[in-house]
Amino acid sequence: MKIGNIEVKVSNISIAVFVFFTISLILASQYSAEVRSNLIWMIPALFMLLVIPVALNYMSRSQYVDLVPEYERLAKTVRVKLINENMIGKVVRIEGVVERVHFQFLNRPQFSVADRSGAISVKMFTSPDENIKVNDVVEVLGQVIRRYMVTGDPVINCVSIRKKNAQASDD
Amino acid sequence: MTLSHTAIQSDRKKQQYLEIAVPLLSFGVSLIGVLLWQMGMEINFQFFSFGCVLGSCILAYLAWIRPKKDIVALSTPIYAFIFFVVPTDFISGLYLQLLYALSLTLLLIRLKYRFGTCHTAVSRGLELAVPLKTYIEKTCDAFTGISPEPAHRAAVVISQFSTGEYGQAAHAAGSVAGQETSPALSRAFAIVHEHATVLEHSLARPEPYLVFLPEDESLLAKIPAPAYSEDRKFDTQLDNALLILFGAAWHGSEADRPHLLACQTFLLKLLNE
Repeated sequence: MKIGNIEVKVSNISIAVFVFFTISLILASQYSAEVRSNLIWMIPALFMLLVIPVALNYMSRSQYVDLVPEYERLAKTVRVKLINENMIGKVVRIEGVVERVHFQFLNRPQFSVADRSGAISVKMFTSPDENIKVNDVVEVLGQVIRRYMVTGDPVINCVSIRKKNAQASDD
Repeated sequence: MTLSHTAIQSDRKKQQYLEIAVPLLSFGVSLIGVLLWQMGMEINFQFFSFGCVLGSCILAYLAWIRPKKDIVALSTPIYAFIFFVVPTDFISGLYLQLLYALSLTLLLIRLKYRFGTCHTAVSRGLELAVPLKTYIEKTCDAFTGISPEPAHRAAVVISQFSTGEYGQAAHAAGSVAGQETSPALSRAFAIVHEHATVLEHSLARPEPYLVFLPEDESLLAKIPAPAYSEDRKFDTQLDNALLILFGAAWHGSEADRPHLLACQTFLLKLLNE
C-alpha cells in the first residue's frame, strides 16, 4: 500500500490479530445480543487494529526516507571487519550477502550480512523498501550501535538496505 | 603478581559465591517455607518467593558483568516480579517457586557454558590477548629502540583508524613521511595512508596499490596467499600495516599503551582470519 510516496507495509502479526478479532466478533455477535448492541463502537475499534499499525509504519517509514540522504552523505564504505566498539555512533555503509533474516513478520527485521572479511548483525526498526531474502547481495546504510543500546557487541542500526543486483539492473 | 591480577582473582571468588547463591537462595528459602508450614507456622507462602526474586537479581547481575550479555538471564527479575506479585496458596505457590528455582539454575548453567567467563584482564583492557602478545614478541627485535615520535604517531593512527576517523588517520599517517623510521614502518604508514584515504572518500581499490616488500615478511602477521583475490590481498596489506604500527607503538611509546589496549578488540579482529 502506498501513502504519498511512502510504501507502507502491515506486518503479518497485525493482520493475524485483525483476522482473529474479526472472526471472534462475528461469532460473538451471532450468540450475544449485548455484543450486537455494541457493534457500533466495536467495528471501528476493530479497524483501529489495522489503522494504528499502518499509521505507525507510515510514520517510521517516512522518518527513515528523510534520513537516507543525510546518511548517504555521511556514510563511509567499510569492511565488516573494521567495525568495532570504538566506532559506536559512526555512520557506515557496508556491502555483503544476507546470510540470515529474522523477525520480518514483526516488521522489525534483523539481518546477518557478511562480506569477505566477516559478518555483522543489521537491525532495522521498520520494514525495508524491498523484500530482502537470504543470499541477496545488499548495500546497508546505518549507524553503528551496541546490540542492547548501552551494552553488547557492535551492530548496525539500519536506515536503508537495498539489493545491489536490483540497483544495477535499474541503472 | 600485580595488583590488577589480585583484584581479578578476588572478583572471580566473589562471582563463584554469587553463582552458588542463585540455587541456594531460590530453592533454600522455599524449602524453609515448607519446613515452617510443616511445623504449623502458616505464614503467607508468597513471602518465601523472595529467595527466587533475590536469586534472579543475582543471576541478572552475573549476566550483566559478562562481556557477552545474555538477555534471558538479564530479564529474570522482571519475570520474578510478574510471577510472584500475585498472592498464591501453599501448593500452587510451592510448585511455582520450585519450578522457577529450577529455571534459574538451568539459566545459570546456560550462562556459564554459553556466555563465557566473566571479565578477564584482557576484556578489561588491562593486558594484551595471547595472539597480540605473540605478535608483539615477534616484532620485538625490529622495533626495540625505535624513536618515540614515530611510535607515538603510530599509536595515534591506530586510535583514529579504529574510531573510523579515516580522514584524520590519513593525515596523521601521511605526516610521518619525512621522519626517520625503519623502511618497513615507513611502508606501513604509507599503506595506512592509502587505505584511510580510500575509506574516507569511499573510493574504489587503487591500481596499482602499495604493498610490503619481501624483506618485510618477518614483520607481517598475515602472508597473503597467491590464491587470494586482489581485493583480499589489498585488505591484507592494511591488516598487516596496522599491526606493524601497533608493534612499533607498543615497543616505542609506553605512554600510549593504555590507548592501544583500548583498541585491542579491533586489532584482534585484524589478526584473525
